[in-house]
Amino acid sequence: MTQQPQIELVSVNKHYGGFHALKDISVTIAKGSFVALVGPSGCGKSTLLRSLAGLESITTGEIRITGETVNETPPRHRDVAMVFQSYALYPHMTVRENMSYSLRLKRVPKTKIDAAVAEAAKILGLEDYLDRKPNALSGGQRQRVAMGRAIIRNPKVFLFDEPLSNLDASLRVHMRKEIRALHERVGATSVYVTHDQIEAMTMADHVVVLKGGSVEQQGTPLSLYDMPATKFVAGFIGSPAMNFVSGEITGDGGSVLLDLPGRPILPLARQATPGRKVEAGLRPEHLSLAPPGVPAIETRASSVESTGSVTYLYCGGDPEIIVLSQEREPLSSGEPVRLTIAPENIHLFDPQTGLSIGQAAG
Amino acid sequence: MMKRLYSAVVDGKGFDILLVGLPLLFLITFSGLPLLYNVLMSFQEVDIFSLGSLIRPFVGLDNYRALLAQPEFWPIMWNTVIFVVCSIFGQFTLGFALALFFDAGFRGASFLRGLFLVSWVMPGLVVGAIWNWILSGDFGVLNYILRATGLISENIFWRSDTDFSLWAVIIANIWLGTAFNMILLSVGLAGIPKDLYEASELDGANVWQRFLTITIPMMRSTIGAVISLGLIFTLQQFDLFAAITSGGPANSSNVAQYWAWELSFRQYDFAKGATISTIMIITVMIAALLYVRSTRHEVRG
Amino acid sequence: MTRRPTPLLLAAAVLLSAIYLFPLYWMYVTSLKSGSEVFAYPPTFLPESLDFHIFAEVWQTRDMASFLWNSLVIASGSMAMVAVLGTGCSYVLARYRNIWVDIALFLVLMLQVLPASLMITPIFVGFSALGLLEYPRFAVMIAFTAKAMPFFVILVRATFMSIPGELEEAALVDGNSRIGAFGLIVLPLARNGILVSAILIFMQAFGEFVYSKSMIQDVTLQPASVGLNGFMGPNTVEWNKIMAYATIYVTPILAAFVLLQQRIVSGLTSGALK
Repeated sequence: MTQQPQIELVSVNKHYGGFHALKDISVTIAKGSFVALVGPSGCGKSTLLRSLAGLESITTGEIRITGETVNETPPRHRDVAMVFQSYALYPHMTVRENMSYSLRLKRVPKTKIDAAVAEAAKILGLEDYLDRKPNALSGGQRQRVAMGRAIIRNPKVFLFDEPLSNLDASLRVHMRKEIRALHERVGATSVYVTHDQIEAMTMADHVVVLKGGSVEQQGTPLSLYDMPATKFVAGFIGSPAMNFVSGEITGDGGSVLLDLPGRPILPLARQATPGRKVEAGLRPEHLSLAPPGVPAIETRASSVESTGSVTYLYCGGDPEIIVLSQEREPLSSGEPVRLTIAPENIHLFDPQTGLSIGQAAG
Repeated sequence: MMKRLYSAVVDGKGFDILLVGLPLLFLITFSGLPLLYNVLMSFQEVDIFSLGSLIRPFVGLDNYRALLAQPEFWPIMWNTVIFVVCSIFGQFTLGFALALFFDAGFRGASFLRGLFLVSWVMPGLVVGAIWNWILSGDFGVLNYILRATGLISENIFWRSDTDFSLWAVIIANIWLGTAFNMILLSVGLAGIPKDLYEASELDGANVWQRFLTITIPMMRSTIGAVISLGLIFTLQQFDLFAAITSGGPANSSNVAQYWAWELSFRQYDFAKGATISTIMIITVMIAALLYVRSTRHEVRG
Repeated sequence: MTRRPTPLLLAAAVLLSAIYLFPLYWMYVTSLKSGSEVFAYPPTFLPESLDFHIFAEVWQTRDMASFLWNSLVIASGSMAMVAVLGTGCSYVLARYRNIWVDIALFLVLMLQVLPASLMITPIFVGFSALGLLEYPRFAVMIAFTAKAMPFFVILVRATFMSIPGELEEAALVDGNSRIGAFGLIVLPLARNGILVSAILIFMQAFGEFVYSKSMIQDVTLQPASVGLNGFMGPNTVEWNKIMAYATIYVTPILAAFVLLQQRIVSGLTSGALK
């Protein structure tokens, strides 16, 4: 892979007056990849995307698209297409006019435009709606028009700004697959902003987690799940969220003593500094009911919810521990339970810095 | 250099600066500078001969002293106060009553309500001419109606009786402004959520209590804006004076904004005209500040 | 809530409207009366005979063609200047939210409130020094534009604020320059609001009086408002003719208003309180 990266962000900083919105962000995006920028609201993900589009200017740093620095380039010369959260369809134009707008601005011959519109409409299933105005379309159709407007241009980069957040839940799941399929089909580079980690995990090849204007961690979806670099990423990726329990490494360095009633001691998969204070992270799906004789967390089920396929156990109180089980657990509220976890699935974080203490590697 | 400038205008902030800069420059040249020039003139000796020159002898506060010494100064100021207060009171109460009535929401309400605004789009001079005729002493239709209903026994000479001339203009001005007040107050009324009324009705409030505890508090900012706008519009009223009484007889219906014009363009005493203008402009500015304050959260919203 | 029956309310509303619009009715009725009927006592509320001849007579003797033409020139010129200068200004003031915009907005609001009759003194003296009074109708247009633009800006700004900024951003990404996005996307969407506000400005300028009265000495250049003022001497008895003049003057405005009423009212109410 010596190919030149499609997009490079080098130490990008952005200040709004006294507010430091983007802090020293460096991301490299390979040609043809699907990158998700994810994080809670206010983390800077939309600002970063808009800076890529040229709708915002950055204070310092460099943005390169196919090797060319575009810091001062206006949006129209960047050859990027963007799908907005509100879709931003031009209300005074028909679907056909909306989709062909950028080509008409470029003075592409009419026959070519017609062919491009027809093809995009076919891909997106919009053939019957080409002469309607946007306000005569449903939410899902508007979403498709917005995508059609982007793909018709065959740009270097697609930018998506939370494009699914205005759709209802079932349509969202469907469009997720459709966008991903479309990405494979056109093979363009895509940058996708979302606050929904499931969208990021299911759609992207490369996920960038942002928090407070800086990159918290980036990598493939599974590497973020398996090896979260910080407590924030560990809690953000995965659903239901990871349980955190404070504790301390035992004297032999091979186990962790949890700060829970009964002072349970769980073995670790590798050595840690004896006596060190830690935050232990236990994913709900890694916890299970312990057979007798195994070291376990002794607690009580405070409530049991079964969806049929899986069972959620809410255990203890301070902190509450959630267990996700694939079995139909024959438990009722108030019953004592014993929970266990495989040693290699225990994540350890520094209570002060939140950084991972190299556990659960592999 | 030219290229950078061009690209700033085509793609950057230069476009915004150009769009907002030209009009602001225009406004500053033709509204802002006259304003300052006005203040300057009020400290100068200006007569028909020195009109063309920009540099004229300064006379300090002489213009202000001379103006205050004129016997008609205080009566005219007092007339201005009466005109403003009574006009606003009349426009506002009638406008509010009509707005409440039309808020009942029946078929055709919004069309009829819109018709009221014709009084506002008509040229002020035409409104003045019509009221001049309606208020005519011997043949005016208002006197006829008042006598036919037994409210008066003698004709009132609205325009020529010094006791009534100011009221002639006030009546016309109330007619002119009521519609605008009503429309703005209607918007405010429409903005009050209907479930508030239903909740307070369930709590046992009667119509009057609902008006006092819901309508009035919810309308506070609208009422503030409408009254400040009324103040601004009333102080701008000139055409009705020109068309009905010309400030007479004997200044009995003269107000500051008409007097300022009279001093400049009837008596060619531009310095005194500028002086009274300066005094009034400061008054209007204070009213405008009140208006901005009352609509502030709407401006920012 | 117990609702009173609608027909009763509607009847009351029609009655109220009739009372309020009586002065307008009186103008039309008087204009149709003969010279002697005008002074009949008790006054007649319906004209005895319909005599439309008076309109042609007033049109001729008062030289209304010239007056109305001048009104039209002044109103069109002012409207064009206000629209051209004011539209861009309102757009920028709607698009951004910062301290400079607040200052500009405040300035605009302040300049809106200055009474024309107070501003005419410095404007007249200043314009005469600049030689602008050589072109009196143009001088009136400039003065009126400065006076009316703030009102236009406040109304049109409300229109621009209702257009989502993302539409313009989408246009920029699609390949428009700032000018292109403004002209092809934003302006077409704001067209109605701009038109309604421009019509309001036209109506105001059509009735403009103070500036014209003070700055236009040449009777052939004066607008209809000044002509009407000259018609009404202190002891006039020609009320039927004056009302005929007024009728000819305002009927076009009233017709336009009734036609566009709903749009004007909604345009006015969306902007005036903001």
